[in-house]
Amino acid sequence: MPISIQHVSFGYDTRSSGSGTFSLCDVSTTITRGSITGLLGPNGCGKTTLLKLIAGVLRCGQGGIALNDRALAQFSKRELARHVALVPQETHPAFDFSVLDMVLMGRHPHLGTFQLEGPEDLSIAHSCLAATGTAHLAYRPFTTLSGGEKQRVVIASALAQEPEVLLLDEPTASLDLAYQLEVASLLARLNQDHEVTMVVATHDLNLAASLCDSLVLLRAGRILAQGPTRDVLTASMIQQLYDVETDVQVHEPSGHLTVVPIRRRPRP
Amino acid sequence: MAARQKRLTLLLATAVFVGGLGASDARQEPGATVTDAPARRIVSLVPALTEMLFAIGAGPQVVAVSSYDDFPPEVQALPSVGALLDPNVERILALHPDLVLTYGSQDSVETQLGRAGIKVFSYTHGGVEAILRTLRDLGSVTGRRTEADRKAREIESQLTAIRNRVRGHGRPRVLLVFGRQPQSLRQMYVSGGIGFLSDILDAAGGANVFADIARESVQPSIETLLSAAPDVIIEIRSGRAGAVTDAVGERSAWSRLASIPAVRSSRIHFLSGSELFVPGPRVGLAAEQLARVLHPEAFE
Amino acid sequence: MTQVVTVPRPIRPRLALTVVGFGALALVTCLAAPLVGSTSISIARAFDRSIPFADNVDAQIFFLARMPRVLAAAVVGAALASAGVVLQALLRNPLATPFTLGVSAGAALGAMLAITLGATMTIGPLSAVPLASLAGAAIAATIVYALATRTGRPMSTSVLLLAGVTLNSFFSAVILMVQYMGDFTEAYRTIRWLMGDLDVGSFGPILAALPLIVAAVVIFALLPSSLNLLSVGADSAATRGVNVGRAQRLAFLSSALATSAAVSLAGPIGFVGIVVPHLVRLMVGVDHRVVLPTSALFGVAFLVACDLVSRTILAPVEVPVGVVTAMIGGPFFLWLLVRKG
Repeated sequence: MPISIQHVSFGYDTRSSGSGTFSLCDVSTTITRGSITGLLGPNGCGKTTLLKLIAGVLRCGQGGIALNDRALAQFSKRELARHVALVPQETHPAFDFSVLDMVLMGRHPHLGTFQLEGPEDLSIAHSCLAATGTAHLAYRPFTTLSGGEKQRVVIASALAQEPEVLLLDEPTASLDLAYQLEVASLLARLNQDHEVTMVVATHDLNLAASLCDSLVLLRAGRILAQGPTRDVLTASMIQQLYDVETDVQVHEPSGHLTVVPIRRRPRP
Repeated sequence: MAARQKRLTLLLATAVFVGGLGASDARQEPGATVTDAPARRIVSLVPALTEMLFAIGAGPQVVAVSSYDDFPPEVQALPSVGALLDPNVERILALHPDLVLTYGSQDSVETQLGRAGIKVFSYTHGGVEAILRTLRDLGSVTGRRTEADRKAREIESQLTAIRNRVRGHGRPRVLLVFGRQPQSLRQMYVSGGIGFLSDILDAAGGANVFADIARESVQPSIETLLSAAPDVIIEIRSGRAGAVTDAVGERSAWSRLASIPAVRSSRIHFLSGSELFVPGPRVGLAAEQLARVLHPEAFE
Repeated sequence: MTQVVTVPRPIRPRLALTVVGFGALALVTCLAAPLVGSTSISIARAFDRSIPFADNVDAQIFFLARMPRVLAAAVVGAALASAGVVLQALLRNPLATPFTLGVSAGAALGAMLAITLGATMTIGPLSAVPLASLAGAAIAATIVYALATRTGRPMSTSVLLLAGVTLNSFFSAVILMVQYMGDFTEAYRTIRWLMGDLDVGSFGPILAALPLIVAAVVIFALLPSSLNLLSVGADSAATRGVNVGRAQRLAFLSSALATSAAVSLAGPIGFVGIVVPHLVRLMVGVDHRVVLPTSALFGVAFLVACDLVSRTILAPVEVPVGVVTAMIGGPFFLWLLVRKG
């Protein structure tokens, strides 16, 4: 289900007249069905904002986003949530929900206002937990989990929405190396087996290199470059994006690009 | 609420409040002041004591009164220096008093005055006995002991006369209300078994329904009111003498509780007058007001 | 560390069972409470129709003193407990109370002014003080709402909290000033009002508060699943299909309605809005779809029981009900802290 982003601008404190500072300025791109697209860029470049716009959490100031040729604004909130799920960077529930409670909340878009979840919802929830390897944690309080376990549970919760599009905001940020690889392979598997389109905002260039087939580089709210990973992930691009000198090589055994940072090289 | 009304309610409530805080003994020992010169420049923060001073002829010795004083009329001409919550110590000191009459709870004022070497007379709150005792003590410190004794005897005989008059006319059960929310029975304050209201009610030939509660004020619930079942309800209000703006409306607040004898026989009386709120020398008048309402036949 | 894990029942039977159980508790408490009081009465005599009502002291005590009181306690208990649950979810803070957002301070200021100025206006069964406290509550709620709402966007919970706290402080200062400038009996009556008083004496004030309560309950019924999602985070809720702005506004409105009605009926009775939700969560878990209705029912039982204690423990002197709830609430919170720490 292609996502079409056309000339989108958004500002957190803009007036309706359009004046004020913009977080995103005239951003246009297309996400193709079944792809895994990486969103790269320095802190504050607008990655999270863009994800929230695609998820319908924020509304575009200017321009528009369409999901399979239908404008986002035409979807009801519940309907959109059945198509698009967002995995936020951090999740801090205010109460001691269990893991299963958290995952069942992902069924909300499929239930009516007064409808309570039934056996089918429960089995979907359990299978999502199984898919993320967290089935054994089902009745534990969410807050007692480790960072990696929490992240996988939140992904399971997003999967319970049965979305066509999964948006992830820095999914490996707080994970150790083993969990990073686990989440990466989980996402790859979901993409292959269930044709889930993914957009992953990340700082981890190597993750982007191994997982994503296309990239969108954002700097200061504007698109710097976009395209297939091979073409876009070059030392020159990284230099422009992060002001960091790197060495980008093809890692023969895996076939992925690897990025080795060398030094900071701010622009003059 | 008219200003006068406010002042009168304050007087009674002050009395109740200070009593509730716990009375402290007069700092001036009775009788110990014989050796001291009588006070010539008196500042009074307590309306009840001001009235007593004027009643024993010590009026000319008073140089300033509280902001809530308005009896006798002579006090209108005197400067005021605040009251329980806001005594203006500077103004008091500027008047160069040799005696200041304070509430027992005004510790900081008393300390400040003590440091300035000014004698302090602390108000003792209580029933009729306390009023008479205080009257005599004030007589001692102002050099008017004779007049004070005479006045005390006069009050005692007033009360005795009332007792005698109403004897044999029965002792109805009385609920004596001194505060409540208008048009409802909530936040009601009634007289308990001790204090000057309870004493004058007793002298007037009434049996306080809450005589067994050893407190000056009681806040009865509806259930308590129903089970107390008074024969007469007397509400003392601080308005112009006899004037209650909405007697019908206020009576109707009681009409639901029809099982109360006082409600059924319409024996609900509204009384006003500052003597009902000031535990001072007009206590005999207050008792007479109550007696006239309870036993009108005894006064024909 | 092995953890003993209890597998909870699925929600449908769990909800049904819990509501029935707590409903029974609430009902039993309400039926038993009027039978007990500071005076001993004969229930048989109270229900004896052959005695005219105006002559039947026992009946008057039962029907005029105790029943309205128990009913008021039930209504106020349910209202405050539910409002507490909703606000705790809205503000994502288990320490929020129905009084956090300033509604009760506005009601208190209204009541203070009515008492101190000696207002005597009545509308229907409502006399000046409840009317003024409703007005004060409405004004406070409007101010907080206006400060925290931006069109089309979710409310900022931090602005809500700040506005509420500020309003609380400001109104409290004004209340103190009003008390200081008032008379003594008025000061006494204002203090008394602030301690809470369920002795309404007739069904009129309860009926007058009912429209607000009913409106609040209708909105409460829409909220529980949204509250679950909101309490995880506004963005999480939005991405799961919740209209966050609308859910927040409904949560604020319903809790303001319930709190205003409760406070204007019986004064600000503290601790109900925080003790009941916490106790309920300890008993039934944290799912708002179960916690909200259960808290309403348990709030009924809790406050009716507290009022029972307040009118019998030192009879014939009454302990203000706010003191009883505080006496229970304070140690309860110490215990909670110790348990968590």
